[in-house]
Amino acid sequence: MSTPAIESVNLTKSYGGRPVVRDLSFQVNPGEVYALVGPNGAGKTTVIRLVSGLAFPTSGSVRLMGKDPHQHPSVRRSLGAVVEAPAAFYPYLTGRGNLRLHGNLASDVPDSRIDEVLRMMDLDRAADRKVGVYSLGMRQRLGVAAAMLTRPEVLILDEPASGMDPLSLHLVHSVLQQAAQAGAAVLISTHHLDEVVAYCTRVAILEEGALIDEVNLFDRRERFRAEVTDAPRAKAQLETAPFIRHVAVRGDDIVFIPATPDDVGRVSTSLAEVGVGVLEMSRDIFDLRAYYRDRVGSERARRTGAFPAPGPDGTSTRSTGSASTTASGHGTRSTGGGGRDGR
Amino acid sequence: MSTLLRMEFGKLLRLTSVRFGLIMLLVFPLLWAYAPGIFEVYGFFLVSAYQVPALSLLSSMQFLLPLLVAITAAELLGVELSNGTMPTVLLRPVTRPQWLAAKLLAIAAYPFMVMTVFLIASLLAGSFYGFGAFFGGTGLGESGLLGEGLMQPAAALGELLRAYAVAAIALIPIGLLSLLFTVIFMNAAGGALATLSTLIFMQLLIVFPAIEPFLLTTQLSAYNTPVNGLTWVVALILLYAALFAALSVVLFERKDF
Repeated sequence: MSTPAIESVNLTKSYGGRPVVRDLSFQVNPGEVYALVGPNGAGKTTVIRLVSGLAFPTSGSVRLMGKDPHQHPSVRRSLGAVVEAPAAFYPYLTGRGNLRLHGNLASDVPDSRIDEVLRMMDLDRAADRKVGVYSLGMRQRLGVAAAMLTRPEVLILDEPASGMDPLSLHLVHSVLQQAAQAGAAVLISTHHLDEVVAYCTRVAILEEGALIDEVNLFDRRERFRAEVTDAPRAKAQLETAPFIRHVAVRGDDIVFIPATPDDVGRVSTSLAEVGVGVLEMSRDIFDLRAYYRDRVGSERARRTGAFPAPGPDGTSTRSTGSASTTASGHGTRSTGGGGRDGR
Repeated sequence: MSTLLRMEFGKLLRLTSVRFGLIMLLVFPLLWAYAPGIFEVYGFFLVSAYQVPALSLLSSMQFLLPLLVAITAAELLGVELSNGTMPTVLLRPVTRPQWLAAKLLAIAAYPFMVMTVFLIASLLAGSFYGFGAFFGGTGLGESGLLGEGLMQPAAALGELLRAYAVAAIALIPIGLLSLLFTVIFMNAAGGALATLSTLIFMQLLIVFPAIEPFLLTTQLSAYNTPVNGLTWVVALILLYAALFAALSVVLFERKDF
């Protein structure tokens, strides 16, 4: 297994004795997009600053490309980052001037690359205007352009799309997706759950500085849902089928991951053999927003000892307060609360 | 490092405090050059352009010039904090000591810029009196403003350059102290205020004669020191500067951003 591009091990940060990040461990591999989500004050920005080497951990460690960014500042040659929202630039310089300055600090970035990232972020027409007159969205796009300037192997962005119009939002997410496809490890913090679910590899849900869940969206995209006449029997049948990698019950439905997309068609036949009818079958669209709401609600209820509000499908969870995994043991990594499958 | 230095000097020249300071440096000498009541107050007449710089320096070195340097030093870091640009730079492969060293050098160079402008502005303000030889002194030599006979322009200019250079050196620790306090408080206003409070407090310490020669505020009058005593005074000033710079780097190195 190759070295993770970003690695956080038992990362803890306290300010004045009050922990704002607690025992956080995660890895981001080359080619992955890893999103940090959580309510305001959950510790996302602190994590971004710790990982990018701007803040020092109280305990635990951070590695970028296998190196501690504090002990090896040169590792930042591999890093492109935006840690302010909106991205901060010298207001008296033009957009191009700011990028040139970044290029000089990083290495000798040619003017052609500056033009390229300006075009990529749709800023070529505003390139020679002073940043002081840029709109919030333009600054954000310039931030992404600056982060992309050196073709970094690691991209770390705090709220890269905050304050953006829908077109700019789409542009930024497309650029991040392309960067990951080109092999970069991308770590972002965001509130745009609907956008990130389309291309993120994994999503970490933070609450009160702790990782309460890590959702593997890559697996989620391969899932299918079937409304069947007898869900438990359908589950039992498919568990023995070699063309099914995973199956779980969700209410009256089953949720499954076929070994290959072509195997979906074999499910109805297999279930018919044991007398289970399939009423409807479709790709299982993962509702990250609902899942997030439910998990954060569950975690808060666990902490306060109260029952959580009903989830979006009318169910509710009650945490055991102990570390657990999802019912399927697949797709999510959950700590301190009751993760559920098939949501 | 050259990129960082260019950046810092570029930023320095754009600071509000520098632009305001420039106006003050240009206007202030005019007060002395054309002061109608100077004889009634001080008992002498100006007879040469070479005497105006002394009056400018004497009347500004205890407060105005330290104030300008302290505020500018605090603003040079403070503007990065308020704009949020500091993390942006530190995310590049630039070490914190490198980045702060560029600021320290810009701050150390600033008093020389200030004193150069101030000297030129003072000479120009006094140009009404002429630049020829004159009977009297520059006010910055050992014979004061009364002098010891005819003073040649070259000798007068030499005295002025020496005094202004020593004054600039004496202001370096003030700027670095202000940077140190700004690093501690991570706030420009806090840094400048703490520096001025420290200077005022030090001025009160003259009631302790044993420590008075070593006080930072005492060194603000170093431009009057005879040539043969300058080595010790400059060494003390540079010791203060080195101490403040080292503390700034050490504290900055462990700051969370």
